[in-house]
Amino acid sequence: MYNLQLSPEQLEIRDTVRDFVTEEVKPLALRPERLEARTRPLLSDVLDKASQLGLRTLALSEDAGGAGVDTLTSCIVTEELALGDPDVAAVLARTSTLAHALFDRLMTPEQTARFLPPFLADDRYHLALAQLEPDRDAALGIHYHRPETSEADVKTTAVRAGDAWVINGVKDRVANAPLAGLFAVEVNSGPGGTSMLLVPRDAAGLSVRESDHSRHFHHGVCGELVFTDCQVPAENLLGPEREDALGGADAGRDAPLDQALNLGIGRAAYEAALAYAQLRVQGGRRIIEHQAIGTKLAEIAVRLEVARTVIWQAAWACDHPEAFADRSLPDLPLTRIAKVYASEAIYHATKDAAECFGAMGVMRDMPLQKYVHDALVCLHAGASNSDAKLRIAEALAGYRRPARSAALAAE
Amino acid sequence: MDFTLSNEQRSWQMTARKFAEEEIRPISVERDEISDPRETFDWEIIKKGSRLGFRTMAVPKEWGGHGTDFVTQALVMTELAKADSAISKTFSQCWKWSHLIAATCTDEQKRRFLQPFLEDDTYLLGKGISEPSAGSDNRLPPADDPKAGLKLRAERHGDEWILNGEKCFIANASVGKLFFIDARTDPNVPLKQGTTMFLVPRDTPGFRIGKVFNKSGWRFYQNGEMIFENARVPHANVVGPVNGSDMKTQQAGDRTGGDLFGDLELAANALGVCDDACGMALRLARTKKQGGRLLFEQQVVQLKLNRMHLLTEALRSFVMRVAWEHDHKLHSANPGLCMNFSTDVIQEVSELNLELHADAGVMEPRADKLVRDAIIWSHLAGDSVQRMKTTRRLAK
Repeated sequence: MYNLQLSPEQLEIRDTVRDFVTEEVKPLALRPERLEARTRPLLSDVLDKASQLGLRTLALSEDAGGAGVDTLTSCIVTEELALGDPDVAAVLARTSTLAHALFDRLMTPEQTARFLPPFLADDRYHLALAQLEPDRDAALGIHYHRPETSEADVKTTAVRAGDAWVINGVKDRVANAPLAGLFAVEVNSGPGGTSMLLVPRDAAGLSVRESDHSRHFHHGVCGELVFTDCQVPAENLLGPEREDALGGADAGRDAPLDQALNLGIGRAAYEAALAYAQLRVQGGRRIIEHQAIGTKLAEIAVRLEVARTVIWQAAWACDHPEAFADRSLPDLPLTRIAKVYASEAIYHATKDAAECFGAMGVMRDMPLQKYVHDALVCLHAGASNSDAKLRIAEALAGYRRPARSAALAAE
Repeated sequence: MDFTLSNEQRSWQMTARKFAEEEIRPISVERDEISDPRETFDWEIIKKGSRLGFRTMAVPKEWGGHGTDFVTQALVMTELAKADSAISKTFSQCWKWSHLIAATCTDEQKRRFLQPFLEDDTYLLGKGISEPSAGSDNRLPPADDPKAGLKLRAERHGDEWILNGEKCFIANASVGKLFFIDARTDPNVPLKQGTTMFLVPRDTPGFRIGKVFNKSGWRFYQNGEMIFENARVPHANVVGPVNGSDMKTQQAGDRTGGDLFGDLELAANALGVCDDACGMALRLARTKKQGGRLLFEQQVVQLKLNRMHLLTEALRSFVMRVAWEHDHKLHSANPGLCMNFSTDVIQEVSELNLELHADAGVMEPRADKLVRDAIIWSHLAGDSVQRMKTTRRLAK
């Protein structure tokens, strides 16, 4: 049953993370050098402490050594972290999600035995998924409601040579790349199929380069991977060969962690504006007592609350997939719907919050411009909202694109 | 109705377009990316523009300026802003206050200040109103509250006034040579009845510039703090009557120049940014491919381009109408409405341009810059106070 009452455990986790953010993150995140959106250094010490609190392994099962929380709890934690620092929130969300997917679901016992202990032992050991490639056109766009597929071939190749895979190619926009100890890499492993390979950071023939923060719509850190005759053992194949174990058929229902992160940014702006509006006096009274500002704050609150509702619904749906089967939930891409609504609503909300500060809203030594910038990054991160709307429309129409092999055969 | 430009208007527009494309655009993004806010400024571009008349074009002919009309000024601001909004604003800021000098200064003051302004390519003007605790209160003073509004104090001692206090967010503060400063000469009455305007040259004893603000947009444009510590200003530098600064109302005579020009200025500048955004977006759509086809072929792209262009052309009509009404001394709420409207337009158009680039996977620093520049309009031209102030003109 859909139930918005958080469990005592969820409330406790939220309060713990909230305290952590207030005490350990905000004081650092609000320092002037962190307010420069273009060149802000990652808060590594905060990441270490967060890992010690268990936030790096939050979604990893308890059996494997994590906290084993569900998607909704992960969203709550990500929102709280992003309230302090979206980069910290992004890095932890990515590692925690991948830890659950890799160690709890996809790895063989032998792979887990090799990779889990070093991951658990090192607070700075993060995980990354390498799928995107330079200039690879992944947009739906012109292919909307048409049988042609938008997915070009994966160009990074893996060739079997004896007991090893030999990888060649380039991946870019790989979240967590500069911090990752282990990569799950999507490769072209032969005609008509992609596979996933586990590539440790120290694999010979792999070089990792951090990307310029200001040149990407991306929170956290990301980078580029170059594989030059990079060899990994045959047993590093993740899941069955020629099956994209992590990508799969994207139904737009993955965990809405990016949206929860976005919500944290919106809340930071909202809390700042609300506090300022109760402090600043113009026109003979506190500005919150003026209709114009009161209404603006109300609109911000409306946007954030509606965004949270749609994000939590998508998160709850991840934790209760049976609710789609019994038609409790509409057969729709709920996370994609949450992304479109939340990213637009929160960008507006941060702009409105900044406006409450007058000229201070655009000053780089004040946090408001940072919140606007960070919300703009969320608005344009990943697949575009224009594309998301086309995919939602295909879902509304019940459109099913023919399988890729069938499309190829038809040509 | 006749929308034809005169030869003179057309000539100014073409000169501005050439200067903007050849000289301003090449340095625009580079200046924006400099991290120290004091270093973003470039005197060379100011001197080059000044030699073409873009610093002094609003000074009346009888005082040695170019005496351009408001339509010409709007055309030039738009052309310059198309290459860089902040550089355009640095020039037009001088027009704003040369209008004020022409409208309100005595002949003696004009001789002392307009002459050097006309002769020196690096002579920039500014005006100090805002203070740390007085922003909206200056724009929309609460009735009968003497405590509200600016606090900078001026007290008369013989032939001199002694100024004490602070200003903030003052345009051209760190580069200007002459400033109009509003100060309280009677702190016991409401703002409008107790404020006097002073001409304060840069080298006034007791007057200095504090920090330069580090803004997210309009980075070339210098905004600074002003600090007055027993600053001594001669009585001869009082503009208009004592206690008569009257804060941007028209009761002291025709202040179309210094006051309502500011509304036209922001709207015309926004129009230039929109022209730039439309140009960038259209170029992208006609060159970039997705799935082997030009972006322009996609309906969602066409609809976004349509929205950008219809808003921009609507703004152009409004801007040119307001400029024409200024030239014909027709006073209404239109300049304010146009300025408020320009906030909505510049933000939506620059955001759509960024969206089209981001959707196509193109990281274009200039698209990002236009969005950051456009956000400046929120507090200058389109916040709730600016909108209510315009509305109150309607009720007059």
